[in-house]
Amino acid sequence: MKNKFRDLEPMLKPKSVAIIGVSRDPNKVGNIIFQNYVNAGYSGKLYLVNKNAEEINGIKVYKSITEIKQSIDLVVIAIPAPFVPDVVEECGKAKAKSIVVVSGGFAEVGEVALQQKMVDIANKYNIPLLGPNCLGVMDPRSRIDTLFLPTYKISRSSIGGVSFVAQSGAVGSTILDLISGEGFGLSKFISYGNAAQVDEIDILNYLMHDDETKVVVMYLEGIKRGKEFIELAKTITKIKPVVVLKAGRTQAGASAAKSHTASLAGSYEAHEAVFRQFGFTIANDLSELLYYAKIFASEPMPKGPNISVITDGGGTGVLTADAIGSSQHMKLGTFSDEVAKKLRKLMPILVNIRNPLDLAGDADSKRYSDAILTLKDDKNIDMLVVIALFQTPGADSRLAAELIKIKQESEKPMIVISMGSQYTTMHKIMMESGGIPVYDSPSSAISSLSALYDYYEFKKGNNYI
Amino acid sequence: MQQLEYFKAKKILDDYGIKNIESKYVNDAKDAQTFCGNDKIVLKAISEKALHKSKAGLVMLDISSGEVSKAYSELVKRAKKIKPYKIIAQKMSKKGIEIILGGRYDDQFGRLILIGLGGIYVETFKDFSLRVCPINAYDASEMLKQLKSINVITYNGKTTKLLENLLLKISKLLIDHPEIKELDLNPAIISENDYEIVDIRMLL
Repeated sequence: MKNKFRDLEPMLKPKSVAIIGVSRDPNKVGNIIFQNYVNAGYSGKLYLVNKNAEEINGIKVYKSITEIKQSIDLVVIAIPAPFVPDVVEECGKAKAKSIVVVSGGFAEVGEVALQQKMVDIANKYNIPLLGPNCLGVMDPRSRIDTLFLPTYKISRSSIGGVSFVAQSGAVGSTILDLISGEGFGLSKFISYGNAAQVDEIDILNYLMHDDETKVVVMYLEGIKRGKEFIELAKTITKIKPVVVLKAGRTQAGASAAKSHTASLAGSYEAHEAVFRQFGFTIANDLSELLYYAKIFASEPMPKGPNISVITDGGGTGVLTADAIGSSQHMKLGTFSDEVAKKLRKLMPILVNIRNPLDLAGDADSKRYSDAILTLKDDKNIDMLVVIALFQTPGADSRLAAELIKIKQESEKPMIVISMGSQYTTMHKIMMESGGIPVYDSPSSAISSLSALYDYYEFKKGNNYI
Repeated sequence: MQQLEYFKAKKILDDYGIKNIESKYVNDAKDAQTFCGNDKIVLKAISEKALHKSKAGLVMLDISSGEVSKAYSELVKRAKKIKPYKIIAQKMSKKGIEIILGGRYDDQFGRLILIGLGGIYVETFKDFSLRVCPINAYDASEMLKQLKSINVITYNGKTTKLLENLLLKISKLLIDHPEIKELDLNPAIISENDYEIVDIRMLL
């Protein structure tokens, strides 16, 4: 396995970092990266390198990395492309352990030879090199942040178990901004740009072995090493879920194909087939990517496909039942007799004891609590969907607090659907911080539970070694 | 890409115990008549120049003994444009559901295997599933489950096992024969307890 995968540990958990191309000008990329390190509270050793400066913000600036004479785990390079190969050479001489090249101006603008020259040098010294033309890496635990995006423009996430991998910097920064508004936290963020040397295989392999990563979420444009990808795919989904969004669905396929098979099964279909075969969860857009990341981040394995819907709005309950009905594997469960009898005693007479359980518009936290605590022990029910419409008179912060309490006791997947504006959003944030995934539509909620169920079914059923 | 000659392709299927319909090259109407006996037959003109035979009117179905010579001369007339051609006579298959089975070599991931609702509806409904070879029994079963037309194709589950085994055989064939770049078994006719491959195309 040696040499097959590049080791990214020094890149994500560096004890020392050198920033090359740091600038006094606060609007320059090099300065923003430096500021971000300061803002993130990075506690390792930080070295600044710039040919034309003596000191920045009172910190000594080295003319070259070779002057530092200390062990350097990560070098962040943010200088114009033509100068990068020479600096990589210096990194090699200085025995740096990893490099992130954020600079653009390589293969993406046709400078293929320049990119290759840089990669050849990195390979000569056997240094993992991420990029070029990328945002780089972020790890809120080790507090590294090579992103040249000012923190006031993109909120940084809390610490958690979801790792995001995005080839594209633009999609990467959008995802990063969006997830900061979600309840789950971030483990690693890796944007790898042109994938000149370190590619998705190296990254997946690293995240597979990373105990801090519970869920891997990827935005992919292409896969460079198909055979190695398959080998890795066979193992990774046995260990943790991987959610993937692949761009290029509508790419003109093999229109001049000679066989029916080739005309049906183009490149996108081949990627999708591989994802499906090895148990990746396929997202069709960025919203689904986040929905699925959220469900995998917090929810346990469902024992079966049977859902109970508990609602304070009849119509939304029916919409949710419809979403269950049109899903391939999800089922609306039937309450066991014992549970039905218990509910009959607990619920007011206007509540019909059937699934979806409509608690009526005047339901308060007590009624919700009685219903959910009874249903969570029903052997016929595997997952709980609680619809909390905060527009109703009985639903307020006490309900949100009660749901958080119940969630902590529930061994079954339990999610909430809440739709609405400011008052709802406030409670959504409250519940998500309390560990409950909250969805804003029946369809997104049910497709997420379905993704959760399908993954664990795959894990049980597949027998790849 | 070059198309492998029909009977060489047929031989490969036979080697893997993949059932395909009784076929023979015929040189004239009399030849076809002898092959026909009392059964119903199909006559097909095949040529490098015509890839989609049924669209080009080069397949004549359901010919009974009395109609053979008339059908033969009609086909010869239609096939003029695609010279050089050969004519294949096949026994008429049992009635059933048409599916497509296939494979192709993908530069990125290697050999892919496909099953879908077939015949003339392939391109319309695009109801197919795809995997990388080699597949295992779990994959074969998942490939079927993925199809929207599963209940139609498997006669509500009656031919599930049969189709799973067929997929495993094709996967093995594709792995053993890396020279095959594209494979179309379209249509394969699925009846309630059997299957039969009616047309074979292997591209090298």
